[in-house]
Amino acid sequence: MAMFRNDNTPMIDRYRWWEIALIYCGIFAFLFFLLSPFIEGFLVSLKPLSQLFSSPYRFWPENGSFAAYFSMWETVPGFARYIFNSFLISTVATVIVLLLVVPASYAFARFRFRGMGLVLAAFLAVSMFSGAVLLIPLFRLMRTLGLLNTYWAMIVPGAAFLIPSAIWLLRTYMMRIPPELNEAAYMDGASQFYTFRRVILPIARPGIIVVAIVTFIGAYSQQFIFALTFNSKTEYMPLPIGLYAFFGKQDVVWNELMAASFVGILPALVIIFFLQRYLVGGLTAGAVKQ
Amino acid sequence: MGQLTLKNIVKKFGTIEVVKSVSLEVEDGEFMVFVGPSGCGKSTLLRMIAGLEHTSGGDIVIDGKRVNDLAPVKRGIAMVFQSYALYPHMSVYENIAFPLRVERAPEATIRDKVEEAAKILHLDQRLEQKPGMLSGGQRQRVAIGRAIVRDPEIFLFDEPLSNLDAALRADMRIELTRLHKQLGATMIYVTHDQVEAMTMADRIVVLNAGYIAQVGAPLELYHKPQNTFVAGFIGNPRMNMLPVTGTKVSAEGVEVDFQGQRLLIPVAGHKAVEGAPLTLGIRPEHIQIGRGEANMTVTPNVVEQLGAQTIGYAPLPDREETFCFVLPGTQTAADDKPVEVSFRAADCHLFDADGQALERTGSFS
Repeated sequence: MAMFRNDNTPMIDRYRWWEIALIYCGIFAFLFFLLSPFIEGFLVSLKPLSQLFSSPYRFWPENGSFAAYFSMWETVPGFARYIFNSFLISTVATVIVLLLVVPASYAFARFRFRGMGLVLAAFLAVSMFSGAVLLIPLFRLMRTLGLLNTYWAMIVPGAAFLIPSAIWLLRTYMMRIPPELNEAAYMDGASQFYTFRRVILPIARPGIIVVAIVTFIGAYSQQFIFALTFNSKTEYMPLPIGLYAFFGKQDVVWNELMAASFVGILPALVIIFFLQRYLVGGLTAGAVKQ
Repeated sequence: MGQLTLKNIVKKFGTIEVVKSVSLEVEDGEFMVFVGPSGCGKSTLLRMIAGLEHTSGGDIVIDGKRVNDLAPVKRGIAMVFQSYALYPHMSVYENIAFPLRVERAPEATIRDKVEEAAKILHLDQRLEQKPGMLSGGQRQRVAIGRAIVRDPEIFLFDEPLSNLDAALRADMRIELTRLHKQLGATMIYVTHDQVEAMTMADRIVVLNAGYIAQVGAPLELYHKPQNTFVAGFIGNPRMNMLPVTGTKVSAEGVEVDFQGQRLLIPVAGHKAVEGAPLTLGIRPEHIQIGRGEANMTVTPNVVEQLGAQTIGYAPLPDREETFCFVLPGTQTAADDKPVEVSFRAADCHLFDADGQALERTGSFS
């Protein structure tokens, strides 16, 4: 007997009951691996500190409360500032990346020029290095430019390392926009720039938003290493460094640390939720007959 | 005015010559169709006229002015693409208005022109919709609308109907012919479909491998093809080509030896064809069952019955091509049974060894 079947289910989508059971078992196994650190983190944030080191260890919190979510602001008074810093650094980096990458990937998608393959390969090679390998040369560069201990020290390298992959991502999207649209606009008297602004940009919007999301997440997660190396001013520190403030001299305030982590990723979640509403598929429908 | 002259146009991609010295005059208001098999250079030629491709040599002259180095807008040309090339994020209204927005026309002018074009193309009810919501035929009309609002001297069409289904194609053919009458503009139309060419054109340019094989009115190409390429390309099913030998040239025509039968074919001959191997062309629709002026026995291995017509295909001994004949739908022929067919000498075409036609002298109207 098959489950989840009605007469309208196409033959290719019909499974036996044990096939469906196996599929769901697989899904739950993977989801558990993926989500268990988050679940555990969340549960820890609900527990009183004393309970964390009790033995035997209990997974489910006893008289759990959201107290840590309130006390954390007092333990580390500058925490709101750290969240703001993270947000600011990621936003500015994303804006810079988009300003540079959108025209660049259009050029890489539409035009053929000498050395193009070389430049694209170079971009790929650059993104193979992790930022950590280049920390020392970057430090010297930042010092020469006088950018150490400023926001720019975290924004500039962050943006630089995100540009190559963003160009590759957006170029692929732009290449799917039919070149006939450029030709049609050219026949109608539009300049390259007019065509780019009025035809290409609106059609590429879903691709640009994907790149914005990926870049923002990338900037949010990689600022840690640059902040640690290029910045020593507390007031410019981003969230990941700010979390260190919960590491006391004697012990770590684990429940507040976990609470702070969850609060810290909230702005990024909000931004992504906001952006993904503009991800409309099928925007090129009806442009050309394929 | 929309008078176009091509002088020795050449196009090379690397070392490959795609268009080889094409010269052509297109009169003002003419509906000119470029037709040919794929890869014959017809689309490249059109794109050079449009200004999308550079010419490797020769002059493109519009209304007495050389336009080789001018941008498309400056040439007074509009083009309709095979794939429509509509802007998917804009409404039908904005798509049609696009060329006017580019030239910064005032809002009132834009509205008047777009509405006028929409009325001509029956798109009045669709102006607010996006191209994605339209059918193929409607999209094609939007693309035409975008060309109309610019009031170009010359319209270029690059296989505009090839993405439509057969019924819609027939409708759009009639509509385009009507549009041409209504606008009176010069239109140049590229197609590989000879029905489109025959039905719409004032004159047809048949292109073969980068050369012009023949230029002429549709029926002129049908009745007096100048060479075996045009003879085979125009007409469906294609003309049968049979080997004959010239025997005698007289004022009435050329007498040939066709499988032991003497046929006097009314063409203008010259002495050189006496005793020379020639090719006799006879269209499938000019063949009947039964005895007549020229007779042959064939064995059809495939017979197609279309209702209006019956088409038979018979292999010829020692020849690659099959012999084809078209009968009225009321007649039929059995598969794999020999049948005696015949045709009239007056319906025959005659080509010399180089494939050039000996001009037919009969009247065809």
